[in-house]
Amino acid sequence: MYLLKIAFRNLFRRRGRTLILSLILTLAVVFFLFMESMMMGLMDITFANIIDLETPHIEIGREEFFLEADEGNILPLEETFVPDDDMLMAINETQGVLGMTKVLDFSADFIAGRHEFPVRVRAIDPLTFGEVFRNQEYLVEGEFITGNGSGIVIGERLAEFFDLQSGDFFTLRFQDRRGAFNTMQGDVKGIVSVPHPDMNLGTVFVAKEQATKALNLQEDKVSQIMVRMENRDQALTQAQKLGVEFAGRDYQVRSYRDAAELLVALEAWGYLETYFILALFLLVGGIGIVSAIVLAAIERVKEIGMMKALGLKENEIVRVFILEAAGIGAIGSLIGCVLGAVVVYWLTFYGLDMEAFLDLGDLGVPMGDKLYGAWNTSSFVLIFIFVVAIAIIASIIPSYWAARKDPVEAIQHR
Amino acid sequence: MSLLELEDVKKIYGQGEIKVFALRGVDLEIEEGEFTTIFGPSGSGKTTLLNLIGALDKPTSGRVQLNGSSIGEMNKNQLALLRRQNIGFIFQSFNLIPVLTAYENVEFALKIAEKGENRKAKEKVENILSRVGLGDMLHRRPNQLSGGQNQRVAVARALVKEPKLVLADEPTANLDSEASKEVLEIMVRMNKELNTTFIFSTHDPMVMEYARRLLELKDGMICREERRE
Repeated sequence: MYLLKIAFRNLFRRRGRTLILSLILTLAVVFFLFMESMMMGLMDITFANIIDLETPHIEIGREEFFLEADEGNILPLEETFVPDDDMLMAINETQGVLGMTKVLDFSADFIAGRHEFPVRVRAIDPLTFGEVFRNQEYLVEGEFITGNGSGIVIGERLAEFFDLQSGDFFTLRFQDRRGAFNTMQGDVKGIVSVPHPDMNLGTVFVAKEQATKALNLQEDKVSQIMVRMENRDQALTQAQKLGVEFAGRDYQVRSYRDAAELLVALEAWGYLETYFILALFLLVGGIGIVSAIVLAAIERVKEIGMMKALGLKENEIVRVFILEAAGIGAIGSLIGCVLGAVVVYWLTFYGLDMEAFLDLGDLGVPMGDKLYGAWNTSSFVLIFIFVVAIAIIASIIPSYWAARKDPVEAIQHR
Repeated sequence: MSLLELEDVKKIYGQGEIKVFALRGVDLEIEEGEFTTIFGPSGSGKTTLLNLIGALDKPTSGRVQLNGSSIGEMNKNQLALLRRQNIGFIFQSFNLIPVLTAYENVEFALKIAEKGENRKAKEKVENILSRVGLGDMLHRRPNQLSGGQNQRVAVARALVKEPKLVLADEPTANLDSEASKEVLEIMVRMNKELNTTFIFSTHDPMVMEYARRLLELKDGMICREERRE
């Protein structure tokens, strides 16, 4: 108890030094909490948008189809399939399923006036599409696909690119099942503005019945079965289970994370970058703590000698210095956690206007212009423990150096 | 049996060709309750002798036996335990812990010696500080006390754990004559009341006046001894 008391009071002997070191650690903690909140918020909203608008919790299709889709090639119509009853029953009986819809994705060129643009056409079943996706909630003009009639829904950026409004004429050019070129023509029924730049520009929605006719496909053929689950955790576990179940049937089951490999990689890089910068901060803090302990030991040589004369063992003297370093770490990370909490709270509730920094649309990140942070209490606990641990680790060697001083020399030190 | 026995104790500093003979074979026996002063010119080996007696250092050769334990055969931790249980130190420059109050400095010594329960420890600390005349300054830090008061705290700290032996290295060197006298009288009183053994090293004739046994050290050897009633 006395060692703790001495260590605690020693923190205030050189207030300036303690403050500077604590502030370095504070900076590291605030930076980490801010970045982690941003990263989690970014990934949360990004995956939420992907799930709501592009690939839901689980999608099931042919492996070759996904391969071509991931590489950005023309989507292969020969990889479409007719889902059998067993398959649909297995999906329906999966725990946590909220909804299911079948889609038929194919590649086409969107033509309006003299311009054309390659798009992915998503042919949907209007009756079940809303159970899984939320694209229609972002309608800004006209109406969404409601029946099996003609007409398409396009994204806002595509509309801007071609200067189109609902009711304007369009042409879609594509190859049908036999490889013959065909077109689909009609009016733009509606325009959606989704927080997903790629979908706003490169995805067109049509009714599935209209598409299968134009593609000369069997009416029931689909490219993917899309499944919405109660939550994301379930999606990961159930995707794995369904994957095992369909393994022998030439189907691939993908979770939203499997479908967004680029984003998952981006997430990993983001965290790596955060941890790297955190490590740099902590390195500076650690070096500061090493020098603080060395300086303290030099200043207190006589005191160390006296403690030894009183009968303190080396490990007890080490403990005083380590507790002191832990105190610096605790002060720094505590202030950091408090300031970090204010920053993260602000980020969580008011968000950060990203337009001022960069155009996320150009980056293709599926989110809106405002980024909201995520509050994660465990991050606060973890960073607090981590910083204190770093402070302790940094102080071990200089503490032993201090404690090993010869008591005779230490007492007579001038 | 004597409290302290030194037999042909030699201490040589330095390595290789450059060697300094700090002690050249000291034989000494000190009984419990003695009030002894070691004096001699600078470099005569007083502090070295005190360091060996205080288990802060080991002899190059010879035997130092304190309370039946041979210091030369002990490791660092055993020496630390021997010091915390049996020896009190009083230094020339007080060496109090500046972040602790007078009370805490004294209590700290008692706590690490693990002597006394909490309630009794409090009584003991307050009692010893009262006996050295600091009963009303318990909660002052060293920088709020005079040199004499600081040395009295150091005396209380050395005595609170009731050690068998108190070693005082030039305890009055940083004090004026009035403060020196006060501190010495406290130590004489404690010696009588608690039967604690005191060994001083000093240049100060005033300290020598209080001693009942005088040892003169010259060139690392005891050259003269005098006992007084």
